[in-house]
Amino acid sequence: MNECSDRVAPNPVTLIVDAEKCIGSGMCEMLEEAIFLIDEDTNVADVIGTGHLPADRAAAVIDRCPAGAISATDQAAT
Amino acid sequence: MVGATFTSAADHNVTDSHLYLDGIPHDRFAALRAQPGIAWHPYGNDGFWAVTRHADVKEVSKNPEVYSSALGHTNLWDLEADALEARRSLIDTDAPDHTRLRRLISNVFTPKDIGRWGDLTRSVVHDVLDDFEAAGGGDWVDLVAAPLPIRVILSILGVPIEDADYLVELSNYLVEGTGEEQSLPPDAFGNSTELRLLPFNSPASHAMFEYGARLADLRRDNPRDDMVTMLVQAEADGKKLSASEFRNLFHLLIFAGNETTRTALSHGAIAFAEHPAQLARLTADRSLIDTATDEVLRSATPVLHMRRTTTRATELAGTEIGAGEKVVMWYASANRDESVFPDPFAFDIDRGGSNQFSFGGGGPYFCLGAFLARLEISSLFDAMADRGIGLEQRGEIKRCPSNCVHGVLAVDMEPVK
Repeated sequence: MNECSDRVAPNPVTLIVDAEKCIGSGMCEMLEEAIFLIDEDTNVADVIGTGHLPADRAAAVIDRCPAGAISATDQAAT
Repeated sequence: MVGATFTSAADHNVTDSHLYLDGIPHDRFAALRAQPGIAWHPYGNDGFWAVTRHADVKEVSKNPEVYSSALGHTNLWDLEADALEARRSLIDTDAPDHTRLRRLISNVFTPKDIGRWGDLTRSVVHDVLDDFEAAGGGDWVDLVAAPLPIRVILSILGVPIEDADYLVELSNYLVEGTGEEQSLPPDAFGNSTELRLLPFNSPASHAMFEYGARLADLRRDNPRDDMVTMLVQAEADGKKLSASEFRNLFHLLIFAGNETTRTALSHGAIAFAEHPAQLARLTADRSLIDTATDEVLRSATPVLHMRRTTTRATELAGTEIGAGEKVVMWYASANRDESVFPDPFAFDIDRGGSNQFSFGGGGPYFCLGAFLARLEISSLFDAMADRGIGLEQRGEIKRCPSNCVHGVLAVDMEPVK
């Protein structure tokens, strides 16, 4: 694959949470409650539902996650 | 002391606590923002990198593996190793311990969980506004800004309400510890710990530790539906909080849940008194409450700076920074960055977006209590709109002489219809 850091993710994108980094702030759950849920036992965000978001909303939730724990997968949503 | 001998670099001195008696030295920060790269600011026998632009504060905030919170101290001065260990809280812990501690307490501070405290908060808001109106005004800090957040955080923690005054008193002494003079003798409150081992070098910290430990013992034996019970029972990654972790966390929650919100509510009142048209605008259109809350926060910047220490050599805004050097993020400056906030000194409740940095510049140290603070601020000014009362400031603002917290000690306000 061509290594290009500013490659724009396809639209819509699939989001994943890095459970090691998540601090359970709940920011993602507030912004996108259909996609994220804080697990009451682990206090870590889980991706629920489709995990898909339009690129602009995905970028916003990635940027606003305090822990930097949310990222888009390379796998395009279908 | 820095500040006594002004050299060309010292013209931009932003650490002299006495400067802050007249408010944040915004002209100096504006000059620092205008300089290319990152300015080196002398401090004591050494100095720090003064990060003053919004984008650079964000960069530091979001890269905790380069800009450590655990090395040295998160204040301007270094602590000796034993003091750092004794005083260590969530604020000055790096991953993975930070992640573990943060997660352990996060599930009462998410936006969803904070929503449960809405009715309680609104009820406390109306109580303090009743008192304020009945008194025909008076010291806004004493009547409104101080009692509101302490009553809310104490309810959440499960501290008996009759102890609120005592904990407000302790918190007031802690604020003193961020300035240069302390009125308490070292052995106040029966303290026998060396002051350098206590947060804010204050014997009031000893008293708060003792109080927290007693309450933890009570809740361990008789669990209740409150946060102290949750903290003594909580486990993350199979580990409970140590005694030191608990007492520092309790201290942090009381201080941060009290002092910073008090500051925001004070500066919010000052801003609305100065700009009554903005309060009228909010009264006419309540959908502005969220952006108004952000503008109050931006205007207030309760915590003026936080320090990081580099774990390795790096580069920031084109400036080479060595390993182990102090990097200080000035939120007070980032919140007035003209490249992000057009006409930054105007108080405008409809700026939109929430890119103010009063909860930090993002990253894992993003203010734990951010959503609680937002609830308290929005509830207060929404209630003032409900009641149709405005504010008129009487006399001068009495400010805290601190380069660290933007404290208001007293400001007289009169309710106006």
